[in-house]
Amino acid sequence: MTRGTGRAGRPLNKAAIPIVARLTALQAAAQIAPGGARVIAVASVPSPIVALLREVNETILGRALRFESSSGASLTLEVAGRRALRLTEAVGLAGAERCLAAGALEDEHKDELIKLLQALAAPRCELRVTSLPLGPAGEGVNVGLPVALLADLLLIDLNAVPGMAPPAPEPEPEPVRGGRGPKVIPLPRTAAERKAPPAATCDLAALARAMGPGLVAWLVSGGVSDGVTEGPEEMVAHLQGFLEEEAEAVGRQLDLMSNQPGSTVCSLLGATLVDGHSILCARSGEGLLLGVVEGDATQALLSAWAAAKA
Amino acid sequence: MGVIESLGTVVKAFPKARVVAFADLSSSMILASQGAEDITQEHLDALCKQARASFDDPLFALSVEAFGEPHGALVVGEDGVRVFLRSESEPADALCCICEHGIDLPEFVTKIRETLDGISGG
Repeated sequence: MTRGTGRAGRPLNKAAIPIVARLTALQAAAQIAPGGARVIAVASVPSPIVALLREVNETILGRALRFESSSGASLTLEVAGRRALRLTEAVGLAGAERCLAAGALEDEHKDELIKLLQALAAPRCELRVTSLPLGPAGEGVNVGLPVALLADLLLIDLNAVPGMAPPAPEPEPEPVRGGRGPKVIPLPRTAAERKAPPAATCDLAALARAMGPGLVAWLVSGGVSDGVTEGPEEMVAHLQGFLEEEAEAVGRQLDLMSNQPGSTVCSLLGATLVDGHSILCARSGEGLLLGVVEGDATQALLSAWAAAKA
Repeated sequence: MGVIESLGTVVKAFPKARVVAFADLSSSMILASQGAEDITQEHLDALCKQARASFDDPLFALSVEAFGEPHGALVVGEDGVRVFLRSESEPADALCCICEHGIDLPEFVTKIRETLDGISGG
């Protein structure tokens, strides 16, 4: 398919281009059918319901998804945030009355909804979807049935890609401001991250010195450079007092900010990053570096990082 | 200019920006993304969580106490550089970016600040 052109040779709606690109990236089928619908499962696909649930799973903003089967049946689900909010239409499907009557789909509707989805997405049926704006009634609904629940009940792995190992289970270490110790589990990594070399150590004192005069006060706590400091005594004492109380919490925060617990990582936190003041924090092994940066230190940080890693 | 186009402009101007994503930090959702990186929804979710963690305690509290509320964060690791900017007018709006180490950070940060202001203000 030529980029920006439908299979029938008609130009795509401009808004559809990023959607097709997203589907391509996801290695899902992306064929445009007459009328603007998109074919998400061809007749040879053994389980069209997998494609249906993935469509819901990929829908974050509120949308009404109209699914049509080549059998002639169709239904419209209002979805948002990977949840099925409401069933607004069912054609050629028996047993839809309770779901249609519900103001919002809830746990008590899940079995009936699953039966409807299974009937619609029967094996050897082509399945198409049309994405429409959410109706006014759907905008006030914020509960609904999580697609992950429906997938679990149907024993479907939404993240499985043919030929690829399933991704690691998604952790839920929601950061809580000032919280003490959510369990940290490694997050999934991108292809580039998987290619990255094994974690190396970093000379934190060398990193600080390579930052230049912009780093006005700093200290290292723990590790090979433990106790090394530079800058006005009052500022260093303040940083030291903070680390004495918060070193463990800082370590947990760095775990959440990076992809790997305990990894060598450096962070800069400031109002704008390119002027004013910022807080520099780095970890390597058992050592923590904490410092105060004045002015734009963004490029200096990258240079210093490269130098300290060499 | 729409959000997708705005993000696309950044990626085009900075080829070393592998992913530029617009997020709602309050709901931990990436609402739009652009870039050459082969990235899945799970990766985008992880990126959003890293952004939230970057603007969290205890470093957030230290910054507030010392200089005021931070709206920018950099995270440098083995695998690249992550840049997170929060909108000053709409603090839940944020840009989350994954870049290569060789990127021109001062220029990039300035550009994405303009982009975020444009998105949040539009």
